[in-house]
Amino acid sequence: MSLLSTKSLAKSVAAALGVASLIAGICSAETTLIKDAKIHTLSSQGVLQSGDVLFEDGVIKAVGEDLSVEADTVIDGAGKVVTPGIFAQITQIGLVELGSQEQTADARTEHEEQGASFSVDKVYNHNSTLVAVNRSNGVTRTLVAPQVGSTVFAGQGAIMSLKDQYHPLIAKDVAIFTAFGEWSAEGMGGSRASVLFELNKAFDEARLYQKNRTAIEQGDFRELTYSIADLEALQAVINREIPLLVNTQRESDILTMLDFAKEQNIRIGFVGAAEAWKVADQLAEADASVFVDPMDNLPDSFESLGKRYENAAILSEAGVKVMFLGQGFLATHNAYTVRHSAGNAVAYGMDYDKALAAMMSTPAGYFGGDETYGQIAEGYKAELVLWNGDPLEVTTLPEQVWIDGEAVSMENRSTKLRDRYKDLDTDKNTGYRK
Amino acid sequence: MIKVPAKTRLTLAALISAAFLSACDKPQKEDKKDVEPNTAFESTYKAHSYHPVLIENATILTAAGDKIDKGSVLFKDGKIVAVGTDVETPTDDNLEVIDANGKWVTPGLIDVHSHLGVYPAPGVDSAADGNEMTAPVTAEVWAEHSVWPHDPQFELALAGGVTSMQILPGSANLIGGRTVTLKNVPARSVMEMKFPGAPHGLKMACGENPKRVYGSKGRSPMTRMANIAGFRDAWIKAADYKKQWEDYENGEGNGKPPKRDLQMETLAGVLKGEILIHNHCYRADEMALMLEIADEFDFLISTFHHAVESYKIADKLAENNVCSALWSDWWGFKQEAFDMVPENVALVEKAGACAIVHSDSPTGIQHLNKDAAKSMASGNAMGMEITPEKAIEWITINPAKSMGIGEQTGSLEVGKMADVVLWDGNPFSVYSKAEKVFIDGALMYDRHDEKYQPVSDFQLGQYDFDVEAQEEAAL
Repeated sequence: MSLLSTKSLAKSVAAALGVASLIAGICSAETTLIKDAKIHTLSSQGVLQSGDVLFEDGVIKAVGEDLSVEADTVIDGAGKVVTPGIFAQITQIGLVELGSQEQTADARTEHEEQGASFSVDKVYNHNSTLVAVNRSNGVTRTLVAPQVGSTVFAGQGAIMSLKDQYHPLIAKDVAIFTAFGEWSAEGMGGSRASVLFELNKAFDEARLYQKNRTAIEQGDFRELTYSIADLEALQAVINREIPLLVNTQRESDILTMLDFAKEQNIRIGFVGAAEAWKVADQLAEADASVFVDPMDNLPDSFESLGKRYENAAILSEAGVKVMFLGQGFLATHNAYTVRHSAGNAVAYGMDYDKALAAMMSTPAGYFGGDETYGQIAEGYKAELVLWNGDPLEVTTLPEQVWIDGEAVSMENRSTKLRDRYKDLDTDKNTGYRK
Repeated sequence: MIKVPAKTRLTLAALISAAFLSACDKPQKEDKKDVEPNTAFESTYKAHSYHPVLIENATILTAAGDKIDKGSVLFKDGKIVAVGTDVETPTDDNLEVIDANGKWVTPGLIDVHSHLGVYPAPGVDSAADGNEMTAPVTAEVWAEHSVWPHDPQFELALAGGVTSMQILPGSANLIGGRTVTLKNVPARSVMEMKFPGAPHGLKMACGENPKRVYGSKGRSPMTRMANIAGFRDAWIKAADYKKQWEDYENGEGNGKPPKRDLQMETLAGVLKGEILIHNHCYRADEMALMLEIADEFDFLISTFHHAVESYKIADKLAENNVCSALWSDWWGFKQEAFDMVPENVALVEKAGACAIVHSDSPTGIQHLNKDAAKSMASGNAMGMEITPEKAIEWITINPAKSMGIGEQTGSLEVGKMADVVLWDGNPFSVYSKAEKVFIDGALMYDRHDEKYQPVSDFQLGQYDFDVEAQEEAAL
């Protein structure tokens, strides 16, 4: 794809979509106009049943019912739907190839100095198979996060674009991840009480570090448990600049962590949050957001016996900011199927627009950056998907994805395998011809 | 269904397996020894009693080729009585008439690959009973002896429209043990769930899992070549065991019966065509090797499961009459699942081979209809014209055939078990839900009536998911 010029790619996209391509003077920037599509703007403009969106230089120039403008590339969106790109939450895209093979994965560490400070954005691999598969299926950016494991803190999250370039960082160190529950207790001596002890110790040390930075760095202070790098990383949390995101399931654990956040005066969010619906009002009051998998209703541990499909709907109704995780152990490779999960959330009572927002504009607002992404509005990034129908529907597929105004290649390893084998006994599959 | 005496049931089972698997009639010598078959663990399933039901004005997918608009389904005494547009309303005071205007009706969904009950929720170590990881060949174990009927995931699958399922041992072993086919009904023992007359299956596994599990213990198999050697070794022994019994039954040898061997009984059951092979096998090249083994030892493979690469050899699978049990798009969790294409199911269908959408997941089993919908959409985007009446076969009649119960259930045809789902909309939509689920004509689940929402012993008293509160939330 990188070998193609923008113009030839735009032309091939236009040809593929069967639309007219009006090539303007070569000195002006390329403009693209999608016409007559149903547009979910996720802005105050709401839903345009038959709307146009114009973009140039990677930025949306106009959105409206009937834009009387010409463009280099015009796409007929009649009968189709446009949304912002999917912002996939808490994945290991670019950090893993094969789930079962640790040598292909960079999402966790046992290095003793790296807990809260473990930051993975620099090792994101933009050539990973997973990037092209997810991108061509509508994911345009992702919050990559380290996997919670045996340490108190898993590390830092970063927001990456799925565009085809080295280190497509959008925002660094946007949250610190930890866990409070069965698994974390197992790694921390066997009890949740020990996890809580450890979390308090870490934050106490971070505050000591804040007040005694020079002495600690010069070694003129009592020995601390956490590395200077970790204590440094925690400053953004104790200064309330970024949230602490806690993987927690059980009602009582959620409430305990809400108390913890209050005591420590930090921002907190919940990941998984199986029984969050039981405490929806407390979460709303504390302005604590949640990341839930709307496809998960399994009472698969004693800490998640109250899990149910209505979790997202009840939380959202109570005024809690809800964002969506992908589907279980497929949340990274198949991050794009989160749109089907959103459909399930709607089937079980969630407002449609809020479900769409939960994987687009809501996280943009939560992590900062909602002045440039997550809505289809003038001045926003042209990070768009054209769907052949309702994007939450299981029979809908993406037709074209744009990142920073560029039409991305809709090919990936999977489409190439399909093309090789869709007719058996041709020289494509008998002779491995490309 | 009326409970039949054990002997009769056995004969029935024998008839069924003879009809569907392979005829093994042999000329019988006069001094043939009678071998009394073992009747332990026989099905004691009894259909719940229920009044006759007529569903009218529905869009019906029969899984026998048809989509019927404004159609009716009539069932009584557990069996389907009539399906079509001109079904007469019988004069029966007990008849319940359901107006299904805007709603859809399909056969009960069937999952050919599930571990419910053997890996129940909650997933604590003490209840993980699906993998006997102590030897690469454990054909002697039966999944049904691990099934915990109170796994709360059964009732979740029921709400997803699943009426029958095959429970398999895990895939740690080359030959993991016998599978069991269940009706998805509340029960106090697994015998009360067992699908009457369904043949056993045998779980086998290719590739990464067995070699990883045993290789990491420093024992064979550590490589794929040892996987194949392990299979062949087992089948050589089984062929010998089968011959010993045949000799005995034919009055040859010293007249003493051979010593029973549970492991060999299962493998010999496969060689006799009584037990169906369900083979976890991702890669096309490994499926081809397994077909060679089947040929060498003269048995049939019913189905390759998780066959991510079936599309590469769909023609060969059609030739060999082997089903492929597939996900719509799972991939990348290991090397052998790297070559996923979302068109896999459609390409298998295109080649004329038997395509099945399966779950292997307590979540996926609740959404088989949606996974089939995704596969249908991917096929159609490639230029195929797969209709809902075709796609429904992937989750009903095709798995039924794969499990050897295709004559009893899996489609809406007169005389078959009335395993029926009423959907509140097109089942190939993310927004549609099973509204009523009938098993053998009895209402087993009703989304709007708590009385028909089974709660396992385990979930009892844990959480009260009040129906009204749910519906309120759904507003």
